[in-house]
Amino acid sequence: MLGFSNGSGGGGVGAEDLAQFQATMRAIELACSYIQINSNPVAAEATILSLHQSPQPYKACRYILENSQVANARFQAAAAIREAAIREWSFLATDDKGGLINFCLGYVMQHANSSEGYVLSKVSSVAAQLMKRGWLEFTPAEKEVFFYQINQAILGSRGLDVQFIGVNFLESLVSEFSPSTSSAMGLPREFHENCRKSLEQNFLKTFYQWAQDAALSVTNKIIESHSSVPEVKVCNATLRLMHQILNWEFRYSKGGTRASINVFSDGIRADNAFSRKTECVIVQPGASWCDVLLSSSHVGWLINLYSSVRQKFDLEGYWLDCPVAVSARKLIVQLCSLAGKIFPSDNGQMQEQHLLLLLSGVLPWIDPPDVISKEIEEGRSGSEMIDGCRALLSIGTVTTPVVFDKLLRSLRPFGTLTLLSMLMGEVVKVLMANSTDEETWSYEARDILLDTWTTLLASMDGSGGNARLPPEGMHAAASLFSLIVESELKVASASATTEDDADCLASVSAMDERLGSYALIARAAVDATIPFLAKLFSDHVARLHQGRGTVDPTETLEEVYSLLLIIGHVLADEGEGETALVPDALQSHFVDVVEANNHPVVVLSSSIIKFAEQCLDAEMRSSIFSPRLMEAVIWFLARWSFTYLMLVEDCNLGSNQLQSLRSRACLFTFFNEHNQGKFVLDIIVRISLTSLMSYPGEKDLQELTCFQLLHALVRRRNICFHLLSLDSWRNLANAFANDKTLFLLNSVSQRSLAQTLVLSAYGMRSSDASNQYVKDLMAHMTSSLVDLSNNSDLKNLAQQPDIIMLVSCVLERLRGAASATEPRTQRAIYEMGLSVMNPVLRLLEVYKHESAVIYLLLKFVVDWVDGQLSYLEAHETAVVINFCMSLLQIYSSHNIGKISLSLSSTLLNEAKTEKYKDLRALLQLLSHLCSKDMVDFSSDSIETQSTNISQVVYFGLHIITPLITLELLKYPKLCFDYFSLISHMLEVYPETLAQLNNDAFSHVVTTVDFGLHQQDVDIVTMCLRALKALASYHYKEKNTGNSGLGSHAAGHTDPNGVFHEGILSRFLRTLLHFLLFEDYSTDLVSTAADALFPLILCEPNLYQGLGNELIEKQANPNFKTRLANALQVLTTSNQLSSSLDRLNYPRFRKNLNNFLVEVRGFLKTR
Amino acid sequence: MSDDEHHFESSDAGASKTYPQQAGNIRKGGHIVIKGRPCKVVEVSTSKTGKHGHAKCHFVAIDIFTSKKLEDIVPSSHNCDVPHVNRVDYQLIDISEDGFVSLLTDNGSTKDDLKLPTDEALLTQLKNGFDEGKDIVVSVMSAMGEEQMCALKEVGPK
Repeated sequence: MLGFSNGSGGGGVGAEDLAQFQATMRAIELACSYIQINSNPVAAEATILSLHQSPQPYKACRYILENSQVANARFQAAAAIREAAIREWSFLATDDKGGLINFCLGYVMQHANSSEGYVLSKVSSVAAQLMKRGWLEFTPAEKEVFFYQINQAILGSRGLDVQFIGVNFLESLVSEFSPSTSSAMGLPREFHENCRKSLEQNFLKTFYQWAQDAALSVTNKIIESHSSVPEVKVCNATLRLMHQILNWEFRYSKGGTRASINVFSDGIRADNAFSRKTECVIVQPGASWCDVLLSSSHVGWLINLYSSVRQKFDLEGYWLDCPVAVSARKLIVQLCSLAGKIFPSDNGQMQEQHLLLLLSGVLPWIDPPDVISKEIEEGRSGSEMIDGCRALLSIGTVTTPVVFDKLLRSLRPFGTLTLLSMLMGEVVKVLMANSTDEETWSYEARDILLDTWTTLLASMDGSGGNARLPPEGMHAAASLFSLIVESELKVASASATTEDDADCLASVSAMDERLGSYALIARAAVDATIPFLAKLFSDHVARLHQGRGTVDPTETLEEVYSLLLIIGHVLADEGEGETALVPDALQSHFVDVVEANNHPVVVLSSSIIKFAEQCLDAEMRSSIFSPRLMEAVIWFLARWSFTYLMLVEDCNLGSNQLQSLRSRACLFTFFNEHNQGKFVLDIIVRISLTSLMSYPGEKDLQELTCFQLLHALVRRRNICFHLLSLDSWRNLANAFANDKTLFLLNSVSQRSLAQTLVLSAYGMRSSDASNQYVKDLMAHMTSSLVDLSNNSDLKNLAQQPDIIMLVSCVLERLRGAASATEPRTQRAIYEMGLSVMNPVLRLLEVYKHESAVIYLLLKFVVDWVDGQLSYLEAHETAVVINFCMSLLQIYSSHNIGKISLSLSSTLLNEAKTEKYKDLRALLQLLSHLCSKDMVDFSSDSIETQSTNISQVVYFGLHIITPLITLELLKYPKLCFDYFSLISHMLEVYPETLAQLNNDAFSHVVTTVDFGLHQQDVDIVTMCLRALKALASYHYKEKNTGNSGLGSHAAGHTDPNGVFHEGILSRFLRTLLHFLLFEDYSTDLVSTAADALFPLILCEPNLYQGLGNELIEKQANPNFKTRLANALQVLTTSNQLSSSLDRLNYPRFRKNLNNFLVEVRGFLKTR
Repeated sequence: MSDDEHHFESSDAGASKTYPQQAGNIRKGGHIVIKGRPCKVVEVSTSKTGKHGHAKCHFVAIDIFTSKKLEDIVPSSHNCDVPHVNRVDYQLIDISEDGFVSLLTDNGSTKDDLKLPTDEALLTQLKNGFDEGKDIVVSVMSAMGEEQMCALKEVGPK
């Protein structure tokens, strides 16, 4: 029919057609050449696009492919075949489908020696995509026919070029079937998943064997010949194919755990337990692959191939970077990470043999490390060595440290860990020698090797503390660690005098990661490394003291800075919100220590604390404690105290078998509350106060102190009790309330400090005392606001910069306190807010032009309401709500219709951003108000006359929606907040919406319509949920005889006699159009179904009409019937009934999905 | 406790054109004097003078009257001058032919020395609104001896 069924040439082409094809060909050729010289590319692209979109362009494309002299035109023809066939697939005849694939395959084989490789790979990939498209329809016999051709080609009977083409085709095919690399076909995930399953279970291994055979057939030639032969190209292709196949995410061979399709976690690998810089994917193809990969001496062949060719080209340095060498190494590295059921359960013997074989092959790449690193520094390519490191990483990933270490012993007098240590030592030395910023091989090698250590050691770290490296391995780790520290310190002192670059955040987090890995190495040999660090630290401190006043200390300061960071990582883990345990290694070692004073961890910690304490002395501060050093001190104290300070009994015990250790008890009790704990806590608080008071303007330092250190302290309840008994803490609270210096902290620190101090009130013995504490703390702030707002000259006074600053400060503090609301202090904070309600409204008035202050005011109210609302009794709730409504009204009255006259576009943009932030805060306020209906701890019984929250929130929305322009909704966060509020309101209180007046109602509806057309899936989802809520509310109300949305739904005729249809009709139209003709993520289909279903039920007549309209528009009678049937099935199949219940929604979802699969294909062609 | 420091007193400070404020405390959205001009800060970044030196602030700011961009670097513990920016709302009572406006002050007198903005579209909107009888409030910003209209607001028809 389409001229493809009968394999050979275009025999039945009439003269008329021929002329037509020639014309098309010329047009496309012309367009391609225009694009190439970039002359009128828009028109040229349109020409090509029209070919892609024309119905059934296959013959023309075929003509172009076979006759055009322009490679680009052939390329475009192939692309057009793909586009059209995928689009029209469901109504192509079976013969044509096979014919298209056969044509493509035949074409590439015929033209296998063509020099335009990209056209061939395009055609080949088109064949692969079409094959996948038809995969579930073709019978096994049909597939066999296709694959017979391919197999013949790969075996090499038709020459090297065809052999290459065959391998190349399989590569495209495998990549099409792998979810992460497959091309979009507009089909549900299920389809892709079934294809993947079928390929994995029935074909993948066969493909691998074919690749092996093909490779074997050319290997001898390659090894024997002395120059580059064409066989190399085929060999490279087969190696790439094998690598690609092993890269497959095997799912169906792991023993039935994933029999069903998981449509949610598609294409996401779950086996990356922790983040690493270098990706190492474990290959787990399952038991059935044993014969292909293991028992067939495949590995031996591969290693042999690589080493013999390597030997042959030993003198030619370039060879290491040849494609075939790179592919071979990649495959070798990949085979190193083979794991899982493929190995029989024989205590890992077979795996060890397998790894040993690989290691022996890899060894020449990396051993001896010093020689190889020297060769690379002298100009040899580093790629082989880096691949060697990768192989070690892979082996480390699939083995335990002990097995890893043992592997090398049969080949060398030392273990693998020693080799790893030597190798990394060499790399670190190279890094030290040329500490330029250039990214060199040594950086990459260092990262990979570090990952190897992390992989090996992290598996030990959490396993209970009794897992240890073999003694030689420990020694290797210790010597490597000292080398690492030496190099880090050297880098530090070298960089000490450079300017601090502003965007160092990325490098800080990279450094953090690196230091985390170093810490693991250090912990693998704590017996040596902790004393080493202690010695190093005291040496450096001594050096600082000696040179005081005479030598420039900058370099030493930077070294101490680095040292503090390293020690912090070694001694303690990052808590990330949870209490970090004392690392197992530090608990389980040092068994012969009986006195706490001699415990190396205690010694090291104490010496650092003692050093830190010296910053309390003004003179020491000015000569030694630079702001940057203080940052490290504070950081260290925060991290350290979280793990070691005042441990609660039985809280940080870790694993059981360690409990009896005497040395461990020493370590645990030394810093507890009965021993040195309180003393150390006092020092820490005094250091904090110093860093806040004596380092004016050092923002980073202050933030660290407030957020990391102080905040972490009060989060621990037992510490709060002690804090409140300390004079130093009282001093801090006093300074906060009264000292002008602390008013100079930057805003976030102010807020955090207020929050911290309020949280510490937990340490008071009773709730009354806690409330009193908070009251005393904040009284000064509230009264200053009250005083100011009562000042008769407020209007002028308020605009003075010093007053603005003071007000901002106080508001930040109030906000901080508000965000620290807890049941124990809720009273005091409620009263705090209550006392400033009027001042807040007054200030809102006088600062209407000072947007920065307005924002602070709003944010304070938002946080305060958020903290308080759920606790409030009915009458208090009413007070708060009235206050919020006045706030909204005042804000709105100041801002509606306001036009800024600034000439500066920057300032205008700033003003827009400020407005956006304000509105976001107001929306948050409304959302918080909503929560009162969900979470309510007040003592009122449900019957009590309480405020109707939904009305309040709608009223609030009514006030602020005029401010939310569609322009502002383009800010993603505001958009998100707005629609989540709207969809929440519509879902929970649809009845209130119905009571809104016309303007407000239509504003809400307009924004929902706007939201439906957003790109963001979340926004569209929320709008669809809102629609569902609206329509189902209306439908249910109607059914019970009520009016539902009333006139909003019914539509109305305006004074000019024009009929405006109701909103549900409008949305039904929009949604249908959206589903049928627009592009959207398939994730939306279910939500859209939930909205469409009630809409159809509400407006059955309109739906019928729209359906008929669609059918009428179809020219093709075949489509007409199909569309009619599909529409029929949509509303009837699956026992769908016309009630909105739990059963019907999923049924309709299924129906809609089938419907869209069925009809979108041909509807979308238009 | 040093109570007196926190009382809000207008005293004679109200007459001052600028106030000193620690550089580290001036944030985005606030005001600052750079090269003798009152500016609004649009960007603040901090860095250190050498790794172990003290923090300094880098300000990018826009002149509130001329819209010119100005930059300054100040050690964050040092003081900067912050302009006293005053904004007063007036009711618009007349637009004269030569582009000047007549504004009603709080105490009932008029203020006639301000010119309309030059932006055409805005001007038309303003004139139309005014002709339709809408109430229009004009905000006038003054700092360091200069003044300018900075915002308009329609408060609805009469």
